[in-house]
Amino acid sequence: MSGRVIVITSGKGGVGKTTTNANIGTALARAGKKVVMIDTDLGLRNLDLLLGLENRIVYTIVDVVEERCKLKQALVKDKKNPNLCLLAAAQTRDKTAVTEEQLKDICETLKKDFDFILVDCPAGIEQGFQNAVAGASEAIVVTTPEMSAVRDADRIIGLLEAKEEIKSYKLLLNRVRPNLIQSNDMMSVDDVVEILSAELIGIIPEDTGIITSTNKGEPIVNDEKSLAGKAYNNVARRIIGEDVPFLDLDEPKGVMAKVKKFFSGIMGKEK
Amino acid sequence: MILQNLYNKVLGFFRQTETEQTESSKDTACNRLRVVLMQDRTNLTPELMERMRKEMVELLSKYVEMDKEALELNLEQDGDQVALMLSIPVIRAKDEEEIKAALEAEDKAKEDSSEESENEESDTSEDNESESSNEDEEKTESSEESTQDPADENQNEDKKD
Repeated sequence: MSGRVIVITSGKGGVGKTTTNANIGTALARAGKKVVMIDTDLGLRNLDLLLGLENRIVYTIVDVVEERCKLKQALVKDKKNPNLCLLAAAQTRDKTAVTEEQLKDICETLKKDFDFILVDCPAGIEQGFQNAVAGASEAIVVTTPEMSAVRDADRIIGLLEAKEEIKSYKLLLNRVRPNLIQSNDMMSVDDVVEILSAELIGIIPEDTGIITSTNKGEPIVNDEKSLAGKAYNNVARRIIGEDVPFLDLDEPKGVMAKVKKFFSGIMGKEK
Repeated sequence: MILQNLYNKVLGFFRQTETEQTESSKDTACNRLRVVLMQDRTNLTPELMERMRKEMVELLSKYVEMDKEALELNLEQDGDQVALMLSIPVIRAKDEEEIKAALEAEDKAKEDSSEESENEESDTSEDNESESSNEDEEKTESSEESTQDPADENQNEDKKD
């Protein structure tokens, strides 16, 4: 078996890298793939929390690198899904505790036993980013339709393009708010895709369910009814290679929205 | 009275949507982002763009008489390609004599300066060969200019220094 190593990165913090990681990982595992997630955000680990695994962590990636345990011992199995594992970051150390070479080696070893290795990248473009990207051959750039997040995504794309090992990168647009897009108060999916000229792999609507799912330590893909969960499931299916259409978020709800859309359509034509 | 109120309200509603159409915050965001990304991608800050504009004016005014203030230099993006757009309002064509005179004056200035600073020039040509990092490039280029053709327009040299 030779697994695919995908780094999930964004540049800007708080756009949903870790949430994306937890959900895509869980969705892939639910689809029967063997998945391991590596949290490389040393000192600021959170992936364990989103998966509800914080109490099960015994060894971290730093313990593996410093040979206090074997790699297999440090892999924490998910509560529900035996296909899913986590290699946690150390909370007490900083980004210098692991080198690019060491991460590359870990990824190479894990490739033999897993279909997917998802690397959760820290925010920023410093050493932490360089480490996370080192072992990967694919990347998912997470951004939101906000100026600062798009700008940082552009920077990250520039850095990824300069890396030979990264064969492809795709854009995941998170926290999309269709009602704001409709009132022209948020950049649309098309705007962001055009500005960054990158290929899209997913559109995730803003969903309050994300907050409650984080509270519970239960990725939202496990909730069949949630729209964000559905969107993340679709991303996982696209990663596997299925051709899944993007969710239509633009459909106005209610009579008022339809009336408004009708009027704005007329106005648009006049212009 | 009530009718008039209603009329105003309806009118106000349409006016509001109209201004939203022309100046939505989304459009502002897109436009600001395009400009800032262009700067990020090319490493050209507004200061450098202004300097480039000034140098263009200087260079081109040897050949044509133009509106120096109105010369516009902008980066524009079309799909994946970034283009440098230069718009020059020409006031009047210079006649041959004038152009000749300007070029001769420049050539003469070059000769003079090369005699003065032969040593320096050999240094800069070495720099030229080993152009590597972006920031250094800009610095060496600017120093080359001030050593190679300083007498062209003295005013300008003052600004650079």
